[in-house]
Parts: sequence; structure tokens; C-alpha cells
Amino acid sequence: MTATTVEAFPRRARRWPLWLSSRAFARFLTAATPSLYVVLLLIVPVVLIALYSFGLKTNPAAGSATGFSTANWSDFLTGAGNPFRGRFFTSLIVTLAVSCIAVLGAYPLAYFLAFVARRHRYTILLIILAPFFTSYLLRVVAWEVILNNDGVINSLLWTLHLRAHGHAITWLIYSKFSVALVLFYAWVPFVALPIFVVLDNLDRRLLDASHDLGATRLTTFFRVTLPLSLPGVIAGFVFVLIPTTGEFIAPLLVGGPSSQLFGNSIQAFFSDTPDWNYGSVLAITLVVVVVILLAIFGRFINTDLTEQAAT
Amino acid sequence: MSDVGRTGKGLLSGYFGLLVLFLYAPLVVLLVFAFNDGNIPTLPIKSFSTKWFTAAFADTPLIQALIRSALIAVINGLAATLLGLMAAVSLARKRLPLRGVVMALILLPLVVPYIVLAVGLVVLLHELGITTSLIAVLAGHVVISLPYSVLVILPRLRTLDSSIVEAAADLGASELKAFLLVTVPLLAPAMLSSFLIAFTVSFDEFAIASFLAPPGSPTYPIYLYAGARTPALLPEVIAMGSIVITISILAIIAADFARRWAERRVAAPEGGSILG
Repeated sequence: MTATTVEAFPRRARRWPLWLSSRAFARFLTAATPSLYVVLLLIVPVVLIALYSFGLKTNPAAGSATGFSTANWSDFLTGAGNPFRGRFFTSLIVTLAVSCIAVLGAYPLAYFLAFVARRHRYTILLIILAPFFTSYLLRVVAWEVILNNDGVINSLLWTLHLRAHGHAITWLIYSKFSVALVLFYAWVPFVALPIFVVLDNLDRRLLDASHDLGATRLTTFFRVTLPLSLPGVIAGFVFVLIPTTGEFIAPLLVGGPSSQLFGNSIQAFFSDTPDWNYGSVLAITLVVVVVILLAIFGRFINTDLTEQAAT
Repeated sequence: MSDVGRTGKGLLSGYFGLLVLFLYAPLVVLLVFAFNDGNIPTLPIKSFSTKWFTAAFADTPLIQALIRSALIAVINGLAATLLGLMAAVSLARKRLPLRGVVMALILLPLVVPYIVLAVGLVVLLHELGITTSLIAVLAGHVVISLPYSVLVILPRLRTLDSSIVEAAADLGASELKAFLLVTVPLLAPAMLSSFLIAFTVSFDEFAIASFLAPPGSPTYPIYLYAGARTPALLPEVIAMGSIVITISILAIIAADFARRWAERRVAAPEGGSILG
């Protein structure tokens, strides 16, 4: 709403209907509407999935009987050589590895922004973050074009006669490498953000004090700067870890059969099969993982948000 | 004392340069191959042409998908900003019963994986006996945009000088009038940021749309995904993609300029990132 349209409002106090003029009720509605929206479209669906996972609801198309059953859960959790459990752990390792590498890659960037690019740091931050706000799907497609068997990297190597024509580097695409690379690419600027905020607000006098007391720059970094920036590091780590636990788009485009993630299993159950019950077991597993992650790391994000909200 | 030595500065700057190259390489690749005359995106590029742009604009399903997505994104931007404003106003209040619960509910969509939300909405629609529709896609997009909207509006709301609103009340404005005439204009930059973020979230969203968009009316990301897997369609997908990417980057720069300008006018304290 622009200022002009607001000024065009009638100057006389308008009479509002009685139910709206009740201030308490209006306040209740203001808080309740967004909350109820989330309850209806997020909490209720998750509860429904939980019911499906225990067989208390079934998709008529699947033709199985409705009734409490833990068969799917026990198959997933304890069934010998269950492929979905295997994929769950592989997927967890991939996302943990990506999160660690993204933090390692983002730290020097955040450090550069906070300590080297001091004056223009917000402009540079914008340059770093801008790709993050362009279409994720398009960027994954671009990586497909780069990594493909006849893509930019391979064809460049052929053109430069660094590799025999027609012989592509096989692990460049449809591999765990390509999935991890795309995820790292997508998240590295975002991870730098919380680390940068912490470094930027670091009390410089502590660094001066460390120097005055005879510490070298490296000692100061490892004993003062790094420990003080850990909350940002952990926040950044969680910022990648939580969204990537459910990732399924990158593996669809640049992953092969062996590099599909857990999210792909969920997607496949709901789009290719009528067996929503088993798919729900996997979906609820993901919810449990997120709850555990939040229980471990939640306070780091929490402090961040309250700090943000308090300023 | 400088915080970084000369060697350190050199290393960090070098690393920064490499990272910027890495971040922009895929975007540059799209822009370059959009003008590639060949049928497959591979090197060396023998000749350049704009034929794929012509093909893309002649591709009616692609244009329809773009329009569909833009429309959903605009409505999503408005709806999420309105709901976000309501939530932020409530959360900024000194006394709010169940504040923790409201805050947790609003932020919850940030941590629930989109794939879980997507299949959950499929199940919910099934439960309610509703078929998939673009309205369902929109409803899902509002859920995931809401937390961003609140995270952008709430901090700005907290920095507002409450005495301005009190002054309006002293001058005889009702609570609602003071809100609409004083608070909302001061929040305009934050509301614009919220709209743009919600627009972007929706315009690019694939997981929810892939489950809830009815067959025959794909959104742009769904079309894009199908196109990327169809070699014959890939060149025009790249051409249109390069246009979308260029517009996004320009919009981000414009939004940041607008934000800085608006902030100087409103004279609110420095917000920091472009997220603010």
C-alpha cells in the first residue's frame, strides 16, 4: 500500500460493525488467523500422515485394510536389508557431508566479508546472495548442462585435447559427487550469512587485546575469533542440514540411480504408487529427524531469531 | 592493528574471487547457451543465434505455465504479506496469550521439509474430497512463505517508535486508523520485501506444485523440470531460463536500491541484509 492511497482514506472516523469494534475480538482474530492457517495446512496434514503410517487410514486405491498396524514401521526399522533404511543412512551421510563442506566453504567467505571487505560488505553480500534468489531449479538445470556427458566440462576438455573425444569423465554427473556439488553450490552463500553476522558483530577490542598480549594473528584466530563465531557456524550448519534432509530435486536432475536421496523415496511412493501407508512411514521418519535436529541445535537458531527480533 | 595480515588478505580475496566465479558460472552458462545455434548445449559453440528465444516465445504451453506461475506468485505475495502482517502485529504486542505457541506455529514451515508438506497436502485434499488445483498450490505456497514474511516484518515493527502511534492516538485516531495511517506506511519497505520474497518462493517452488498442480496446468517449475529432461525442449528452456534469471537479478538489485532509498526516507536504523 503506498502512502497516497492511505491518505485518500476518509478523514472522518468510520463506524465499524459492532463485532469488529470489540478490540479484544479483533486482536484475537489477528493472532488466530495466521496460526489457524498453519494448523490447518501444516499440522493437520502431518497428523494425517502419521495416521497413514500406522494404517489407521488407507488410500482406497491401495486396496489394503484400514486398521492399526505397525507392520510398515517394523519393516522399515528392522526388516533385514530394507532398501529404504539403507537409503536413509546414505542420504543422511550425504547431507551431513554437504553441510560440513558448506560450512568450511562459507567460513572464509564470511571472514572476508567481515574483515577484508569492510566498507562495501553489504554490497558484496548482495553479490554473493543474488544467485540464491534466482530459480533453484534453473541453477540445477545449468549444472546439468555443465556436468553432462557432452556438457561444458567434458566438451571443453575434448576441445582442448586434454581428453580423447567422446570419453566423458563418468563421475561428473549422475553420481553422489554431482548431487553433493549442486547442494553445496546452492547453500554455501546462505551458510555464510549467520557466520558473517556473528563475525561482523564481534567486539574488535577482544582481538586488539589478544594482539597486545602477544598473540600472533593465527593464535588470535584459533583462540578468540573462531570460538566466538561458533554460534554462527552451528546456525549455518543447521541452515543447510534441515532443508537438505528432504531434498529430492537435485538427485532427480543430476543424480543417478545410486545417488537418489531419501526425499526421492517419499516422492516416488506418493507419485508412482498408491501405497501411501509406507510412504507415510518415510515422511514421518523425516519429521522425526528434523525434530531431533531441532532438539540438538534448536537453541542456536532460537537465540539467533530472538536476537533478530529484539533489534 | 589490522585483523588480517597481507598474506591473509590476498588469500581471502583470491578465495572470494573463485567463489564468485563458482556462484555465477551456472548463470553465465545459461546465458551463453541461450544464444547457441546448435541443438545440444555443448562446446565448441559453432554459431550464435536467437532462434531459441523465438522458439520459446512461440511455445504456448511454456508461456501459459509462466503466466500461471506469475499469477500464483503475485497472489501468494499479497496473501502471505497480509497474514504475515497480522502475525507480526500480534507478536509485537506487549501481551499476547500463548505467544510461544503462535511464534512456533508461524516458524514451523521453515523446518518441515517441503516434500513432507507436499505429500501431507495431497493426503489432506484426499481427506476433504477435493481434487488437485492451482488454488491448492497457492494455499501450500502461502504456508511456506508465511515465516519469511513474519521474519521480515516483525523486526521492522519492533524498531518503530511507539510514541508516533501514541501521538496519533492522542490526536484522536482510533487504533485501527492509527495502524493504517501511521504504522502501515512506516512498514511499507518491509512489506515490499516480504512480497518479493514470497513471490520468489512461490515462483520457483517445485515440490508442492508437482503434487498439487492438476494435470494439464503445469506451473513454470513443473514445465521447466519436464523440459530439462526432454533434449528437444532443453534449448528453449535454457533460452527462457536465461531471461527469467536476468529479470530476477535485476529485480534483486532494484529491490535493494529501493530498500536503501526507503530506509533513508523512513530513517529507520540500518537493517543489514537484503532480507531485512
